[in-house]
Amino acid sequence: MASHPAPPVRLSFASLTPQNVGTIRKLNAVLFPVRYGEKYYQDILQAEVEPFCQLVYYNDIPIGSICCRFEGRDLYLMTMGILAPYRSRQIGSQAIERIIEAASSHTKPKIGRIYLHVQVSNEDAKRFYERHGFKEVGIHENYYKKIIPRDAWILERRFQNADK
Amino acid sequence: MAPQQVTLAQKDRKAFQDLLSCYELKQLTRGRKVADQILKKYPDHGETMCMKGLILVHLGQRDEGIKLIRDGMRKDLTSHICWHVWALVQKGEHKYEEALKSYMQALRFDKDNFNIVRETSVLQAQTRAYEALVESRLHMLRLRPNVRAHWVGLAVAYKLSGNLVEAKHVLEHFQGFLREAPVNDAEYSEFILFHVRVLEDLGDLQAALALLDKKSKDRYVVDRTAIHTFRARILSKLKNSNTESPQAAEWDTRAESEWRALLDLNSECTDYYHAVLANQGIDLGSLDDDSRTQALGLLSEFSAHSPKAYAPRRLALTVAEGDKFKELVKPYIEAGLSKGIPSLFSDLKKLYADPFKRQVIEEIVEDIRASSPSEPAEYLWTLYFLAQHYSFLDRHRKALDILNLAVEHTPTLPEIYMMKAKVLKRAGDPYGAVRSMDEARALDGQDRFINTKSGKYRLRAGMVDEAEEILGLFTRKGAATPGADLTEMQALHYLVEVGDAYNRTGKLNLALKKYYAVQKVFESFREDQYDFHQYSIRKTILLPYLDMLKWEDEVHSHPAYVHAVVSAALIWIELYDDPLLGKSLQPSHETTESSKKALSKAKKAARRGNDPSLRWRIFSTVSNQSDDKGLDAPPPKDDDPDGVKMILADDPLERAAKFLETFKECGKHIMDVCLTNFDVAIRRKKYMQAAQALVRAHAVDAQHPEVHLRVVQFGKTGESFMAYFSVSSLSDSIGSAVKSVLHETLIALKPEEISLDVFTSQYLQSHSTSSTVILACAKASEILGNPMKDIESLLFTSLQDNIELPVEDALRILSYLQRIKSTRAEEFRIACDNKFEFSTVFKSSDQQAALRQQCLLEEKEDCEDIETL
Repeated sequence: MASHPAPPVRLSFASLTPQNVGTIRKLNAVLFPVRYGEKYYQDILQAEVEPFCQLVYYNDIPIGSICCRFEGRDLYLMTMGILAPYRSRQIGSQAIERIIEAASSHTKPKIGRIYLHVQVSNEDAKRFYERHGFKEVGIHENYYKKIIPRDAWILERRFQNADK
Repeated sequence: MAPQQVTLAQKDRKAFQDLLSCYELKQLTRGRKVADQILKKYPDHGETMCMKGLILVHLGQRDEGIKLIRDGMRKDLTSHICWHVWALVQKGEHKYEEALKSYMQALRFDKDNFNIVRETSVLQAQTRAYEALVESRLHMLRLRPNVRAHWVGLAVAYKLSGNLVEAKHVLEHFQGFLREAPVNDAEYSEFILFHVRVLEDLGDLQAALALLDKKSKDRYVVDRTAIHTFRARILSKLKNSNTESPQAAEWDTRAESEWRALLDLNSECTDYYHAVLANQGIDLGSLDDDSRTQALGLLSEFSAHSPKAYAPRRLALTVAEGDKFKELVKPYIEAGLSKGIPSLFSDLKKLYADPFKRQVIEEIVEDIRASSPSEPAEYLWTLYFLAQHYSFLDRHRKALDILNLAVEHTPTLPEIYMMKAKVLKRAGDPYGAVRSMDEARALDGQDRFINTKSGKYRLRAGMVDEAEEILGLFTRKGAATPGADLTEMQALHYLVEVGDAYNRTGKLNLALKKYYAVQKVFESFREDQYDFHQYSIRKTILLPYLDMLKWEDEVHSHPAYVHAVVSAALIWIELYDDPLLGKSLQPSHETTESSKKALSKAKKAARRGNDPSLRWRIFSTVSNQSDDKGLDAPPPKDDDPDGVKMILADDPLERAAKFLETFKECGKHIMDVCLTNFDVAIRRKKYMQAAQALVRAHAVDAQHPEVHLRVVQFGKTGESFMAYFSVSSLSDSIGSAVKSVLHETLIALKPEEISLDVFTSQYLQSHSTSSTVILACAKASEILGNPMKDIESLLFTSLQDNIELPVEDALRILSYLQRIKSTRAEEFRIACDNKFEFSTVFKSSDQQAALRQQCLLEEKEDCEDIETL
């Protein structure tokens, strides 16, 4: 029908600024069953986490985000999500790989691992992280207080010489 | 008695020469000392007094300096120096006409003073005294014939005065003795193009072409695009005006290839396509079936030739009809949506003038939506397009439903919220619109476009301070207020919107100030051209210079200027009609909360040294000698920043008339200007002017409802005027002349045999579904003295289903009902509130105040749900 070839998809990333943090708020409101406090939004704007807090654009439309924070030499992945209509297009994979890449080459501090929590009902998410080299290392009971189930898996990916 | 002229002794004359050269070299303090020495000996020497005065002006002692100059002139009215000094001062005050007169006086006493002649010529160009400009330019050339710029200047002066033949002579003469012309020289190149243009305008097309061909072949013309456009245009003209000529075929082929060469240079220029089609005898303005097919054939050929170009495809959509249109528009839309072009709708909406095309586009886009594209972005842009489409057709509910779907799909695209704001605005909910625009702004705080829109929407909702706050996020941080910065930046859209916001909320004083600020911007446009009269000639920037003059001459027809002047004039009329209004707008003596705030703001700004008048001084002292303040008069201090004194003026109509006069010629064809001119003139009892304004308005659009209303008003005024004359025995000649003009005007506008009542009811019948006509006829009815209940019931017909009633018109009718103190105004308001589904503008003022408060409150975070992670 269409005489024109579909133009190639442009995937791009942007760092967070006080100017676009409203987009993160909007994304979080629809993507996650929990709300985040002001502390969260202050933390993601810190200069040292810039490579690990990114907005994801699909043909210049903001459609997802990935946000981490430092806990000593650990990088804790707080949130990651892609809007529903844009899933199953490897966008999440590209985003997490981008973060892994940035983390593995990061110095000062050298990052020991990335870890995160996944609600125990969310098998899809768990499989997603496992595909990207994460392993389940335990369960945090009663991690969530207002959503059911309350338990969460702890998943981590370590950066060691052996990993490479 | 003329004062005895003082003559200087030989050695003192030397001192005076010294004084002059001090001024030339801008050694101001030294110059002042020399002047003082001379004045000690000759206290009444006029020329020295003037020179000293001039130096004082430069040193910033303006008032003292000007006084001294005046005194000096009185001592010596026959000195060119005195007149020259006075001219400089007037020029510094932008009084160009007066300065010109002084220069002419100076020339009387020293007719060959080159500097004075040159400065005179600049003022003549500035004041458009082209005949006199020719004289000055001739004079300059006679005094210094070996300067190239003087030849150029004379030719330009002839061209401006419309004497192309003489312009041509000068150019040829100059070319004749210019032996060695430089190759690849930008100035000479411009000169050649100017020469070609003169020949072309003279109709001497063959000569123009020959000159262009020769000079471009010899590499004298450096502007490649200009060579092609000039040649293509001249060839097309040649061909069309000499169809019988044996060379016609050759011209035709050459023209064709020149236009195509231009298309290769820029395949997005729609004008080139128009020209190339016109060259083939196809006028896109009047097509028949054959020429339409031919045009589409050519356009598709061009599209194939430049596959990436939009212009030929888009133009084909304008040209095509019926099935051909369907066939062409479908891929155009599909490509736009899949590429995600946000402006696709604004690009296509010009086609909506044709209902068939509108329908086709709707069907195609709805089909795309129904097929639910697998590309999520394409689906989103499809929804966005449809929302704009339905909003354009005033189907607000449908547009909002689609936008809600879009938000569910992708809640992060600012365009969706901006569109929602626009839909709400159109549906009569300015407060919801503010909220939605803020939602868009929260998504992307660094987008100035959204920021500006957000400010504008707040202004539309009557929230001036809140708008300023938002706009301030992008204005210069050191500015006294965001508004001051936007005014300095000549942001016309801001000035107009903020003026309108004040106007709507009844703060007429502040509204007037803003409208006059628009005028100041246009005055500065006029002053900006001053330096170019000389510069352009010296640098041989001729055709752009001519274009600039033309632009300056028409700049007052700019929509922002028209709007500002007309709105200001209407406020003056309001103040005249209600003499108590100005007093009611005076601030109360108690210091209100807001004025306190403003006061402390101003103090703060002053502390920071950001008084705008101070800043002006910093900018104006560009000279390397820091104590030279220049000759330009500083902007007068505004001792009435809120316009509260201005609105008490006892001559409101005269002020309105004066403001309207600034349109000069270009106001003749602008409906609003003609109508307002009439409104002012009829109140000033200047019946001839009123008649003239009305005839002009009638010529622009005879069926315009506002024109009809004024014909009635004019007729009614005429009747009482005639009645006055028939009872009064002294019918002087002026009165009877006016009477006959009024009579003739009225006959031209309205059939003589029918009464104004019948005239109005006939007009109403023939335009019975238009709400603007209903309002105009109601006002006419009021003028004709019909009872209130008739006027009311006429206005209520606008609520019937068969009448197209936009929200703005309903608001106008409501405010008219309130103005004539109709007891049914409230009934009308409530009816509108029910009729317009999403509207809030018909809520009671208390309700609206509450809505205004609410739309800025941030949604509270639902603290209950926050996970403490």
